[in-house]
Amino acid sequence: MGEVILTMKGIDKSFPGVHALDHVDLELRRGEVHALMGENGAGKSTLMKVLTGIYTKDSGTITYEGKEVEFHNTHEAQEAGIVIVHQELNMVGDLTVAQNIFIGREFKKGIMIDDKKMIRESQKLFEELKIDIDPKAKMSDLTVGKQQMCEIAKAISHKAKVIIFDEPSAALTEKEIADLFNIIRDLRAQNLGIIYISHRMDEIKVITDRVTVMRDGGYVGTLITKDCTKEDIINMMVGRVIYETPKTQSAVPADAPVVLKVEHLNAGRMVQDVSFELRKGEILGFSGLMGAGRTETARALFGADPKTSGDIYINGQKVTINSPEDAVKHGIGYLSEDRKRYGIVVQKSITENSTMATMEEFMSGFLINKGKEKKVTEKYIEELATKTPSADQLVVNLSGGNQQKVVIAKWLVRNCDILIFDEPTRGIDVGAKNEIYKLMNRLTKEGKSIIMISSEMTEILRMSDRIVVMCEGKKTGEIPIEEATQEAIMDKATRDIQ
Amino acid sequence: MEKIKQIPIVKKLGFNRIVLFAIMILMYIIFCATIPGFFGPGRIMSILNYAYFLGFLALGVTFVIATGGIDFSIGPVMFCCALMAGYTFGTYHIPMVLAMLMSVAIGFLFGLFNGFMVSFIGIPPFIISMASMNIAKGIASVYTKTQSVQWPQSASDGGWFRNIVKVGGFPVGLVVFICVVVILYIILNGTKAGRYILCLGSNREAVRLSGVNVKKWMMLAYVICGTLVGIAALYYVAAYTTVQPGSGDQYNNEAIASCVMGGTSMVGGLASIGGTVLGTFIISLLQEGILAYRLGKDIQLIITGLIVIVFVYLDVSARRRKS
Repeated sequence: MGEVILTMKGIDKSFPGVHALDHVDLELRRGEVHALMGENGAGKSTLMKVLTGIYTKDSGTITYEGKEVEFHNTHEAQEAGIVIVHQELNMVGDLTVAQNIFIGREFKKGIMIDDKKMIRESQKLFEELKIDIDPKAKMSDLTVGKQQMCEIAKAISHKAKVIIFDEPSAALTEKEIADLFNIIRDLRAQNLGIIYISHRMDEIKVITDRVTVMRDGGYVGTLITKDCTKEDIINMMVGRVIYETPKTQSAVPADAPVVLKVEHLNAGRMVQDVSFELRKGEILGFSGLMGAGRTETARALFGADPKTSGDIYINGQKVTINSPEDAVKHGIGYLSEDRKRYGIVVQKSITENSTMATMEEFMSGFLINKGKEKKVTEKYIEELATKTPSADQLVVNLSGGNQQKVVIAKWLVRNCDILIFDEPTRGIDVGAKNEIYKLMNRLTKEGKSIIMISSEMTEILRMSDRIVVMCEGKKTGEIPIEEATQEAIMDKATRDIQ
Repeated sequence: MEKIKQIPIVKKLGFNRIVLFAIMILMYIIFCATIPGFFGPGRIMSILNYAYFLGFLALGVTFVIATGGIDFSIGPVMFCCALMAGYTFGTYHIPMVLAMLMSVAIGFLFGLFNGFMVSFIGIPPFIISMASMNIAKGIASVYTKTQSVQWPQSASDGGWFRNIVKVGGFPVGLVVFICVVVILYIILNGTKAGRYILCLGSNREAVRLSGVNVKKWMMLAYVICGTLVGIAALYYVAAYTTVQPGSGDQYNNEAIASCVMGGTSMVGGLASIGGTVLGTFIISLLQEGILAYRLGKDIQLIITGLIVIVFVYLDVSARRRKS
């Protein structure tokens, strides 16, 4: 680790009703990978947005390369050498890799864009990073992992001195993560300062030098990674110890009735001849790698996307599901992996979101019974421990984990018997994660059945009673929890389909 | 400023609406002070006459804009309603009540057509409303053989329909207008239809995935709009009696300006009935003032155009600050 390149001191930021940052400190050195950790809503993203000029701080100082600075937008921050590699990629799918990397600052030959030079320069960047990507390839043809590498190349091409990685590994495979870490190590060796935001504890231990932990918008402390244990960090994050133990035995009795049967479901390339059964009170895990077709299966089942063929039986009765409306009528609820796009209406209140699927229950004649609506919503706010000043709060003002709880509340209000949870804990911190796990267990005890799609192996092993594995649009295996191991699942998830 | 916004009564009424109201009063005072004879019941009646039909148009299009759509056909459709119903009344001597129903029905059908095309067929609202604007003009011209249409004067046969504006000195129109506003306010803020219209304007996919038939509710917004356009036509002819074929476009802009001024967001999801009413009165007052200054209709076109730009900009920048 070299000298200090960046110091944030006493950073304070409030939004209406929320004290998002409460005098937070952060120090970054050259040649250091510095983890920024905390539960969802702890303020990590807000802090980074203050640093890169997206938000203006209320008070506090930012010292960068010895001078006090204040950036007014990301462009200014970029010019100074501070860049963010976002969790959500900002790429234009129809342009080539090279065009994306130099977007907005294209090389020119006269008035024409010099594509050849952009390709050459991209090639140089990739060589530097030791990654193998064709600069002439169309961005949308690359895997998520490769796209992420392009983001990093783009960041470096800005002559960055500080790079912020915002949950870079969330969508990557193990192999891609290994590549990413090699790149990060290279960057560290080149004396760059790196801020690494992640929820994955094992990664923090592998790649970072120091860890700064935040909680509820406040600064908790900074540790040297090699001198502390996982438990130390988790304790700082949540103030309690968390044990994760895999399930060893199915909680579903052998004679539990089948509530949902899907036969030979087909929907495009991503869903090919998928059949499975879901029993009452069961958590059926759907495991597989990115692009295995699990979400597509769920969406086709739910009627969100059209299916080409396949039969669905609910409690033994054949049903027709051509739209989400049909699915909801038959008691199915779907919690999307992309809650901002498919789960919540951010500009509306918690109440309006919670009752959206169940409006008819809240009608007195033509009018909405707002009193009843509010009472029910408040009940679920309390039950799910949603952090909010009131039921009237707009969902946009909530953190990711709390937004997720609002979506869950929507389906609980509806009292669905079959719930599809698609990556229910994605981007959610350990504490809120445990709450969601507890809730899922409670729901199955009450006789509800859950299909849980998850890319996290520990989650699959901990929660499922039975595991369906998918690979490239096909179901490749079904494993009872008693026989499930990481290796067994991985084997089926990566099986070559001839 | 922020402190003022936190006062309960200000919060309830909406800071922006209070400002709009103040602007309206201020405009009226300025007009009265600078134009001799502006003050008095005559001008107010004239402003109200304009506000009725414009108000119904603006209220209608508020529902469409709330879904994130737009309707550029409202002005010409209003004229189409007035022309066809008026021509039928004059040529085939149908009872006045039928003529009035016909006007509302034509508006309703255009709303149904626009709504169906947007919701079920998936044609962008901008395109479909441009098309139905021309269709409305065309149908009306063909039907009336490109003649202007004269609705009956007060004294003549069927002229009683002008009582929907006023009876003696009593402004019946205002009472009707207020009733409709109250009903629409309840629909938008208190019913399932209003809730879904606002929500789907904000995030259509999320509402669809909640098991809601979004196509149906989206179409309903256009139907409400069309029906109100049919009513607007009646108030237009009750006030001015004569209608020319081939026009009506300018009222699109004035109605949309009234909406955005009142705080209805052009990207959907946010709408205010009270705001639209205030916007309507400001535009009506403005047109009366411009008329009194003898500046001509062209100046008014420029001003309403600028109003749309300014208020859409304010909305966009407010959203940017929030997110």
